Amino acid sequence: MNRREFMQCAVIMISGASAAQLGFALSPEQETYLATAPDYIAGELNFLTPAQRNLVAAMAEVVIPRTETPGAIDAGVPRFIELMAGDWFNDQERAIFVAGLADIETRIPVDYGKPFHLLEASLQLEIMQDLEAQAKDSAWYDFANVQRQFISDAPFICQVKELTIWGFFTSEVGAREVLRYEPMPMRFDGDIPLGPDESTWAGPSF
Amino acid sequence: MREAIQYDFDAVVVGSGITGGWAAKELTEKGLKVLVLERGRDLQHGKGYRGEHAPDWKVPYHGKKPREFYEEEYPMANRVYAFSEATRQYWLNEKQNPYVVDKQDPFMWIRGNTVGGRSLLWGRQVYRWSEMDFRANERDGHGIPWPVGYDDIAPWYSHVEKFIGVNGKAEGLPQLPDGEFQKPMPWMALERTIQRRLQKKAPDITLTNARVAVLTEDLPGRSACHYCGPCHRGCSTGSYFSSQASTLPAARATGNMTLKSNTLVERLQYDAETGRIASIHVVDTETRERQSFSARMFFLCASTVASTQILMQSTSEQFPQGLANRSGALGHYLMDHTLGMSGMGLFYDDMDSYYYGNRPTGLYVPRFRNLEGEDENLDFLRGYNYQTATLRMDWQTSFNTKGFGADLKNSLRKPGPWLFALAGFTECLPRESNRMYLSKKLDRFGLPQVAFDMRWSDNEVKLRQDAAQQATRILRAAGAVFTMGEENISPETMSLPGEGIHEMGTARMGNDPAQAVLNKWNQAHDVPNLFVTDGSFMTSASCVNPSLTYMAFTARACDYAATQLAAGQL
Repeated sequence: MNRREFMQCAVIMISGASAAQLGFALSPEQETYLATAPDYIAGELNFLTPAQRNLVAAMAEVVIPRTETPGAIDAGVPRFIELMAGDWFNDQERAIFVAGLADIETRIPVDYGKPFHLLEASLQLEIMQDLEAQAKDSAWYDFANVQRQFISDAPFICQVKELTIWGFFTSEVGAREVLRYEPMPMRFDGDIPLGPDESTWAGPSF
Repeated sequence: MREAIQYDFDAVVVGSGITGGWAAKELTEKGLKVLVLERGRDLQHGKGYRGEHAPDWKVPYHGKKPREFYEEEYPMANRVYAFSEATRQYWLNEKQNPYVVDKQDPFMWIRGNTVGGRSLLWGRQVYRWSEMDFRANERDGHGIPWPVGYDDIAPWYSHVEKFIGVNGKAEGLPQLPDGEFQKPMPWMALERTIQRRLQKKAPDITLTNARVAVLTEDLPGRSACHYCGPCHRGCSTGSYFSSQASTLPAARATGNMTLKSNTLVERLQYDAETGRIASIHVVDTETRERQSFSARMFFLCASTVASTQILMQSTSEQFPQGLANRSGALGHYLMDHTLGMSGMGLFYDDMDSYYYGNRPTGLYVPRFRNLEGEDENLDFLRGYNYQTATLRMDWQTSFNTKGFGADLKNSLRKPGPWLFALAGFTECLPRESNRMYLSKKLDRFGLPQVAFDMRWSDNEVKLRQDAAQQATRILRAAGAVFTMGEENISPETMSLPGEGIHEMGTARMGNDPAQAVLNKWNQAHDVPNLFVTDGSFMTSASCVNPSLTYMAFTARACDYAATQLAAGQL
């Protein structure tokens, strides 16, 4: 601890003031130690309407449903999708996403008499399969086309799938309860038995 | 007269990265008072590694890169695998600190922004040069001969390896001398299968452990690797070598080191009367305060390009073309390694075997082309090596498949077949036309922005083409059921100059002062109390990762400089 840090701590302890109030603040990014930070999906949601949230959650659950293990909703994937669509998508991607939501929101109640999230599972699946059939020529489906950040003109259904799968397997629930998670292995063994039903290791991503 | 002068320090070291840390350690341990200047911000070992051990769900966007922001502020750095929200704090902001990027022929200049520099971010691969490498220029006439050979540097390699901790396996190869190794990291079952097949079907190929500055055995104050995976986020246990974990604590322990962060060097002040550098002028990057320090000698360890930039900025009546540049070689003979995936194979062997822990390296294929007495008819000079990567396919490599529901979920959660990849690193010839220089554009401190003029030559293209062809041969011999190779190779498809982040040269070493900036001790021919020990001194490039060689030459130069200083020769 250098003198400045010491003074800072001393002042804070005596006055009870926060570092920020004293003008010593580091930038938020310097201050936050990611491993103890809140989960990304704990961020504030402000992009979708309540109806759109229902729709996104139902679609994500069709992609990765709860089985004997947790599904997309259990893992907080709807929150991930909303944050990513609001904060991470570029304008082109966001426009495709918004238009895709609007299409389902308006078309499904007309065609089926109920909004998407209230339909039975078999109908939801059929609708998603239709969307996938229409999107089948997208480069998104090209063999091994995974080493990229995103495909900006990918159709709505591809966006939903990518964000659901990504959000799910990088979530705490997905990593711990569906994949296998060992953050501190302490040793490396290059040859352990793998049973036919065993999962891959989760992360860490680089 | 000179004895009467009061100096602020015995030595100033510019930079705290891989070589600056070494210079600080070696000089302070010899009892010298040393000032270390670092342009980046302070970063404390163990406390400052903000992305360390953060699980994916804590990282912004769960690890997806904020693309528009990166393109705006880190257009070059964000192309590096190690760049992410978990490491961004270690890199220099390129929007605030621009250099001139030629749209036609861009150079990728990757810079750190913290104490420790790129030693926090490096790939940790450490290989000795061989006598073949030191003789290469002499043998084929490119560049100038090296003034040192393997025997001169071998003891310094040992000195460095013992301190940094290197795990690897001795192979007895003349083209890749063995070092002081800790026990090697284990292999995967598929890697052993591949090795067995290569021994039969491609016996000219050696598959060995990568030699890596990651501990498999404890060293004082540092623990053996815990196999968490992404080293470049920082390592509180000091399991990989960085200045923070290793050299700077050693220097600090002597009580002889003063380290100033946020301190950018503007120029060195040459004193025509003494024929030496008298002082160094710096600017505080936060307050813009300017200051100068005097010292008996000066070590430039600011990294290739940055050190030469300082020399170019330090003009005087005696050195109108840049300090210590009577040879005219300063800025020229810039080199880098080309890199890229030469080939990748799909394997269905050892499907019932898996791994535990994240081994922070792949394996290694030492150079096997153009060895002495072999391959006489090849149409290219010098050679290349491969770093390998072994991956099990998983949801990250197959998330774009069709389908929904329980079946999709179940197939994505399970391991798929294996991928084994060969990433070629090729040597680059030293050429005068490949250079850096100071442009007329100024940065926010009023200092000239660096510009580059560098292109790959036919030889580098031919090396990459051969590396791709040979990779396919090796993968087939290894039993791949499907292979993909680097195709249609041309300068446009190759890695950018600089992208290897092995930029070197620009202040080359040689015996002839008319041709070289530095002598064989990394000392400027023209200025006895000036030493340059980062990658700038490199006279040729070899194909192996260069950091170990920089460290060994730095330690050797420090030993020489301290001896000379004690003898009153500086």
